[in-house]
Amino acid sequence: MFIKKYGDIIVGGFFMILSAGMMIMAKMLPKSAIMDIGPDFMPMCIGIVTFALAAVLAFLNIKNLKIRTAEAETMEKENLDYKRMLISFILILVYVYLLHPIGFIVSTILYLPLQMYILAPDDKKKKRDIIQLAIITVIFTFVVFFLFRYGFKIILPAGIFTINL
Amino acid sequence: MNALISLGSAYGRVFTPSSLLLMAAGVTVGIIFGSIPGLSASMAVALFLPLTFSMSPSMGMNMLVAVYIGGISGGLISAILLNMPGTASSIATCFDGHPMAKNGEAGKALGYGIVFSFIGSIFSFIVLTFCAPLLADIALKFTPAENFGISFFALTMVAVLASGSMVKGVLAGMLGLIFALVGMAPIDGTARFTFGSSSLMAGFDTLPTLIGIFAISEILITAESMGNGTLDVIKMKPIKGFGFSWKDFVYQIPNAIRSALIGTGIGILPGIGGSTSGMLSYVTAKNMSKHPEEFGKGCPDGIVATETANNATIGGAMIPLLVLGIPGDGVTAMMLGGFLIHGLSAGPLLFVKNADVVYGIFAACMICVTLMLLIEFFGIRVFVQLLKIPKHILMPLILVLCCVGAYATNNRIFDVQSIILFGLVGYLYHKFRLPTTPFVLCFLIGKMLETYLRRGIMQYKSFGAFFQRPIFDAFFFVAIGVVVWTVYKEYKMYLNKKGVKAAEQS
Repeated sequence: MFIKKYGDIIVGGFFMILSAGMMIMAKMLPKSAIMDIGPDFMPMCIGIVTFALAAVLAFLNIKNLKIRTAEAETMEKENLDYKRMLISFILILVYVYLLHPIGFIVSTILYLPLQMYILAPDDKKKKRDIIQLAIITVIFTFVVFFLFRYGFKIILPAGIFTINL
Repeated sequence: MNALISLGSAYGRVFTPSSLLLMAAGVTVGIIFGSIPGLSASMAVALFLPLTFSMSPSMGMNMLVAVYIGGISGGLISAILLNMPGTASSIATCFDGHPMAKNGEAGKALGYGIVFSFIGSIFSFIVLTFCAPLLADIALKFTPAENFGISFFALTMVAVLASGSMVKGVLAGMLGLIFALVGMAPIDGTARFTFGSSSLMAGFDTLPTLIGIFAISEILITAESMGNGTLDVIKMKPIKGFGFSWKDFVYQIPNAIRSALIGTGIGILPGIGGSTSGMLSYVTAKNMSKHPEEFGKGCPDGIVATETANNATIGGAMIPLLVLGIPGDGVTAMMLGGFLIHGLSAGPLLFVKNADVVYGIFAACMICVTLMLLIEFFGIRVFVQLLKIPKHILMPLILVLCCVGAYATNNRIFDVQSIILFGLVGYLYHKFRLPTTPFVLCFLIGKMLETYLRRGIMQYKSFGAFFQRPIFDAFFFVAIGVVVWTVYKEYKMYLNKKGVKAAEQS
């Protein structure tokens, strides 16, 4: 609801701040000694265009805010599950950061069943389903590991546990 | 006439059971690599490179060609079924392919993609076989100024893609350009926006960016839509043959010819690549179409345009590789490595000294695309089964493959971590209704644009001198014209809308 009403204004504001920051940083870049166009030229151009477009977007939407609000109110509410989304995001984040220190095999075996369980529909969370998820996880992890290690010759992060054949 | 005789004898040599089997294996592995988001065609070629060591030069090169062709074509499978492009070349295949799959026409969409991949490749190989030296001559005359013109032209296509809500669309693209700036500046290597991090010095890699934007955000969006506790199952319509009729095929011919020309043309120019050609051809098809409003909602024309063009790029990209020894993209660079391993030097002399290898490659190209057509035709029914795997099981498995693929690109854990950032960008874009395509297009072209601009200015001393190059002029002014025309159309639409609203109120 909030996004529908103010989304474009937020986008405009965000891009204005971002481009302003970028232009300030670009100003601090060293100028090129040999030619007119240095490393600061492109960021400046992009910054100016972005700022102008963002300002137009924000302005148009503030002007039409009343119409937008009326439109947004007539629309029905979407049934979105932010809890599932947020937990999934955190899981992915943890997985990616653990991948290197504890290794591919351990982190994947921990991550996969949790993520599948979170995403599973409510009627698919019985004991039998969980066992099925666990089996899929173990098979998949080892197939990927061996396929990459010995088939594709790509060595995955070893971490604390790995298999050498 | 000589060419035809050499080609004939090359076919004779390639048509042996052992070499056919090797090529079929190469195409299959290429398709698998292409279809998994995170594993790319260049990775597959890199993997096969050491395997060709023990083969004869001609056989080794044929094998690499097989992997290349399979890899580019395989990308369409995951683009259509999962809305995740398997390779950068098939980004635009998602736009219409996935909506078609959602309507239960996955088989038909795959059929279109496969057949027109085949036609695009065949077209470009015919061009390669008969006009290679001639075209390479023209491509050699391209200076950074012309390349800048083409990049600029491709960039303005964002405006066309974003028509409907242009300000938002172009703004969405600007973020892509901003991300492309991170890292070392071209030419002088000044560190820009790296915030002191050494990992950021090399900038964001293309593959992790694509994975993040398309795959990670898709997983988050799936998680969010589980609110009802169940997911709607896609009903699939059974298909016959390739799923479309002869009449449909004839209808697509003009579209296919145009796309094949765009694909081959872009392929010849070093450094532009399949992702740009697919996207450019998609936008052109949309602009020329009598029903542009159907694009993006499941219109086969979109798939035809993209797949014909990105496969036509293969033949195009081999022209500078074989004739001049200049690789056009990552995959052809890898193939150049293949030549060196076998003691061949790509370049004008190759045609004189090792004509048998060259014509062997031409013959292998034709046979490999035919193999690709056959393998994928029988595969359609298997690929479609992928949609039957429950999403809560499939999505996490794909995420793991994506992470592995991102890691394998450069063996850097930073690339894996950067997919999270781009996943978040993709998700927020979805939430705020910003289109992701302009972002991707701008990200891909951003670096090229700056490099060519600065290189050109170094060569010609000033930007004004660019205008003395007629090819640059053509691209530049057409681009400006397209922008002006699109803005005018957009403005007229805005006025119309306002008029309708005012009429309603009174």
